[in-house]
Amino acid sequence: MKLEGGKISSSHLTFLMIGFMIGSSLIFIPGQTAGHDAWLAILAGLAEGLVFAVIYTTLAMRFAGKTLVQFNDIVYGPYLGKAISIAYLWYFFHLASLVLRSFGDFFTAIIFPETPMIVFIVLTALICATAVRNGLEVITRCGLILVVTMSLAVLTTTILLFKDMKLTNFLPVFDIPLKDFIKASHSAATFPFGETVAFLMVICFLENVKFAKSSAIKALIITGLLLVMASVRSIGVLGVTAPIHTYPSFQAVRLINIGNILTRLEIIVVGNLLAMGFLKISVLYYGTVLGTAQLLKLRSYLPLVLPIGAMLVSFSILQFDSVIENIFFTFEIYPYYVIPFQIGLPLLSLIIAIVRGLPKD
Amino acid sequence: MPKRRKILFKLIIFIIFILSIAGCWNRRELDTLAIVFGVGIDKAKKPGNIEITAQVIKPGEMKSPQGGSGGGGEKPYWNLTSSGKTIFSAVREFTHKSNRKLYFPHNEIIIFSEDIAKEGIRKYMDFFIRDPEIRRLVWVLVAKGNASEVLETKAILEKVPARNIAQLIEARAATSQASAVRLQEFLTRLMSKTTAPIASVIEITREKKEKIARLIGTAVFKDDKLVGYLNKSETRGLLWVIGEVKSGIIVVKSPGGNGEVSLEIIHASSKIIPEIKDNNIHIRVEITEEGNLGEQTSAEDLTSLPAWTVLERRQSEAIHNEVRRALKKAQELNTDIFAFGEAVHRKYPELWKDIENRWDEYFPNIEVTINVNAKLRRSGMTTKPPKPE
Amino acid sequence: MLRFLAKKLHFLQLLSQNSEDKQESKSRESSQTSLSRDITQNLKVLKDILGPSNDINIREFSFGYEEKVDAAIIFVDGMVEKTTINESIIKPLMYDSHLFTPKESQTITTSIDLIQRSMISVGDVKKVDSFDELVDDCLYGDTVLLIDGSHEALVISTKGWESRGVQEPKTEAVVRGPREGFTETLRTNTTLLRRKIRDPNFIFESMQLGQRTKTSVCLAYIKGIVNPKLVEEVRRRLKRIKTDAILESGYIEEFIEDAPFSPFATVANSEKPDVIAAKLLEGRVAILVDGTPMVLTVPMLFIESFQSAEDYYSRPYYASLIRTLRFIAYTITILAPAVYVALTTYHQESIPTPLLITMAAAREGTPFPAIVEALMMGTIYEILWEAGIRLPRPVGSAISIVGALVIGESAVSAGLIGAPMVIVVALTAIASFVVPAQSDTATMLRFVLTVFASVLGAFGIMIVLLGVLIHLSALRSFGTPYFSPLAPLSPRDLKDVFARVPLWAMFTRPRTIGWHDPQRQEFRLDPHPPPEESEK
Repeated sequence: MKLEGGKISSSHLTFLMIGFMIGSSLIFIPGQTAGHDAWLAILAGLAEGLVFAVIYTTLAMRFAGKTLVQFNDIVYGPYLGKAISIAYLWYFFHLASLVLRSFGDFFTAIIFPETPMIVFIVLTALICATAVRNGLEVITRCGLILVVTMSLAVLTTTILLFKDMKLTNFLPVFDIPLKDFIKASHSAATFPFGETVAFLMVICFLENVKFAKSSAIKALIITGLLLVMASVRSIGVLGVTAPIHTYPSFQAVRLINIGNILTRLEIIVVGNLLAMGFLKISVLYYGTVLGTAQLLKLRSYLPLVLPIGAMLVSFSILQFDSVIENIFFTFEIYPYYVIPFQIGLPLLSLIIAIVRGLPKD
Repeated sequence: MPKRRKILFKLIIFIIFILSIAGCWNRRELDTLAIVFGVGIDKAKKPGNIEITAQVIKPGEMKSPQGGSGGGGEKPYWNLTSSGKTIFSAVREFTHKSNRKLYFPHNEIIIFSEDIAKEGIRKYMDFFIRDPEIRRLVWVLVAKGNASEVLETKAILEKVPARNIAQLIEARAATSQASAVRLQEFLTRLMSKTTAPIASVIEITREKKEKIARLIGTAVFKDDKLVGYLNKSETRGLLWVIGEVKSGIIVVKSPGGNGEVSLEIIHASSKIIPEIKDNNIHIRVEITEEGNLGEQTSAEDLTSLPAWTVLERRQSEAIHNEVRRALKKAQELNTDIFAFGEAVHRKYPELWKDIENRWDEYFPNIEVTINVNAKLRRSGMTTKPPKPE
Repeated sequence: MLRFLAKKLHFLQLLSQNSEDKQESKSRESSQTSLSRDITQNLKVLKDILGPSNDINIREFSFGYEEKVDAAIIFVDGMVEKTTINESIIKPLMYDSHLFTPKESQTITTSIDLIQRSMISVGDVKKVDSFDELVDDCLYGDTVLLIDGSHEALVISTKGWESRGVQEPKTEAVVRGPREGFTETLRTNTTLLRRKIRDPNFIFESMQLGQRTKTSVCLAYIKGIVNPKLVEEVRRRLKRIKTDAILESGYIEEFIEDAPFSPFATVANSEKPDVIAAKLLEGRVAILVDGTPMVLTVPMLFIESFQSAEDYYSRPYYASLIRTLRFIAYTITILAPAVYVALTTYHQESIPTPLLITMAAAREGTPFPAIVEALMMGTIYEILWEAGIRLPRPVGSAISIVGALVIGESAVSAGLIGAPMVIVVALTAIASFVVPAQSDTATMLRFVLTVFASVLGAFGIMIVLLGVLIHLSALRSFGTPYFSPLAPLSPRDLKDVFARVPLWAMFTRPRTIGWHDPQRQEFRLDPHPPPEESEK
């Protein structure tokens, strides 16, 4: 009994991946630790991320029509496979709760300081739950419109800031010691490019699995460009003051002032965050729910949606006590914590699959 | 489908609860805001404290007709003061006097008094940067005297003094003899290791028994302490170098010798090029300028090519002098207000690592070559002066 | 308490089920009755069935040359054309039977076939032998002819009643374009459509819905363009309807729509034949209902509400501009009050300073918070609108002036409401008329958005908009995704969404509806000068 009847086309997948990767990255621009060379770090991270993407899509194409949970069983055998699937489901769940938490932090820090964070998290989770209940096709369709709107917004705000950007802020180029640069680019690779491992749950629903690789590569490149644009925007406008800001993108857009008329436009940033965050959480949420349903061999994943949603909400609130813990986790722990999920296990699966000649038809 | 109906019912109750509990914590009706247009920071009577003056507008009075303060209308603003150890605590103290909480996002200026600035500004800067309500586009000024007095000055064409001051800043482009520094710019300079922060200067002058605000010159900081001022021509010299001259008048002596000529600046740009010559740091400043002939008090015909060339030359000299004066003052105060250090950093990153921390030793002795390329383009509506042939 | 109510409901349910069964069996019984050869017997049964209504006329007469045969005609006064009855039914029977020879007249009088074939000079005659059909047709304006000795009767079409002529529909006025509108008579409507599409593949299928109203419903489609499965599905859903009355197409709409709980309509309707014809040509199915000029079309796409007939008769640039304007107007009408509430209550930093001062000045002294003002003004506006529709014509304009000026002005002067609020509500009201098809959903959306805006500001607005987006993306109308061509994206079809591409560039029908026969016109039809003459 098929759990998901929908099929998505390859262009839809590209848009969905772009939206997913942009997720909360427009707010916390990756590679910030590289200072004014952050845009280079993003490009380097993109290169690393492309390698990941190739591994993932090769795996997905090999096991066409099967989600991650399903082919883990084939590669590792029934017991170990299930254990690994559980680990992945935990990762998707954790990531979704992290994004939800960033949402809550952002809104309560900047715009609604007195409102308790739970309100934002619950409402966002509810909306994502509605999307997940409606199935993958609906998430994809929304994704398209939202991504197009978001790209236009990023483009417009960047153009409006041209006059405030100082090219001198980018010089000298590559001023940073190599070790730090590699650390920054690796963190850019894991957040957000490597998180596309979640799509191993989704790629199998493509109409034509052949296009998976090209779609993914297109998506990564476009995302890379968008992130570079956002990074350039922040660095160009904020210059040396960039590292002290919690939300550099927001601060940069706040500086838009064209003729005293086009000003106070920071609500655009908020809208973008909501739209892209919604996509990212929905995809991760969907992956978790679908995976759990497949693991437990259920006929439909619908009854799982609300309980997992409730768990997401409570976990996002409980995991950190303050913004500082969140920042510490994101910059210090996360790049290493994800290595098994994003690199280790997929690579291992691929190698085992090739060596053992799986899947055996 | 009774089951679905039950779920729908529960969902609706749930949403109603959420919406009513999710009360409106952050709701602020427009008439609960005290909209702040200007902030002034002075030393308080009690040592160690600061006094803040906030200029809050009264929206109802803003629509009354102009005509000064006549006609029985009240002042459309209200200056509140409060004091405290830190800025944030002082700001909250306002609620003892004001029934509405202060609302900062529409604030346009921050004025520091001279005394505060001399002691060091950094400790007061943090509030303005960390708080999400304050925008980075506000102007930073130093008052010669008390900031609260500046906020009490009379504004004739504007209703609110703070608005008046903000517009004064925007009008500085006409002479380019006052700096205009936004908070973002000030912050960038503050966070730089070598570049010195600058701010606009506002002073109070008396005119016909009324106090009026006057914007002129630049305040120069070393690190975060006020160390000196630049007068109006020194300020323009600074602005020539950092490329912020928008317009202004240069008065030179007429080529014939009897009279003055006013030249209007139309366009100016500059480049700062660091060079290393014989192990010494050398800065080359290239200034490009375009001007128009605006006025002549002498009766000679200046539109002949030789006279024109002389005028151009005199223009360059004038610019040259202004820059020299600024440079001299800056080197006297040992403050790198031109951001020469950053220029060296960009071009010679390796070298910079060594000398960065000792920039104070290098700066006063830097040799600066100023190359001015000044052109005169147009002569207005007439070519010859109005005198019989 | 709830359980008590539940039990009561269950009991009532059982009761109604019982009576339904009884009715069914009764109707099954009567349909089995057929005519007898005795005319008096038939007349008695008919009188029983039809009841004592005084508009049912039974005219008994006899005809024939030597031997007179009894006959009777039954018709409903007011629904028939008397001339036809007199000239074409009674007259031929009474007078012309004299022209036949005695031997022939014998056969004639006993053979209803011969009467049908040679004596009734009316275009549409049919034979029936069951009372059910007889009564049905008689009640719809046909005349029933009973002949003594025959177990069949003739039903002769003599429909003719008072009806509104073909006029310009009041709700869909256009500046350029045909001004015909459908009327309440099914036959007129089908004619109007047939005149627009003279293709022999244009097919009308009819059926009767509503057990007591027995409303004629007609399905129209163009074979070859339409998806046959769609027609099948429409037929299936229509046949499923078992209700007492179908008085208007709206009734049918509620029975066949895909998502009864969605605020968005998934069935389109129109009063103009050219609009319906255009939709049919794109591959849709139309449902015509007797008794109403509103014709339904399925499937419906969201953007159809933004496309008006006039768009296609004007020039493309202007039409595209107006199309864009409609989208802007729609955005204004659902968002304006919500954005106003959100900005003035939560996000005052996003308002430009001079505007903020004006708004703050206007709000000084007003007693209610912005959300209460917004809801109050919204409600008053809805009341005014509803009243405006029901008012008698001469009083109408006076009241609207009263409503607009007096209430708005006075409310502001009295200090009840701030002036900006009145402007916002007025703008919303006017903007809602630009996209009339969506004005009811717009009102509901507006309300929800305003409530959420009052609680959570911009975040609330965005959450609701996201929710609406998800809903729109998931909605399907008879299998077609509601939000196409935006989601799923088909760039080919975007040519008619935000701008109206010139007609010579519209090569293809909308992909999700007309894929059966995708190409509708030739390429390179744009006007261009003739090619250069070749050298001699």
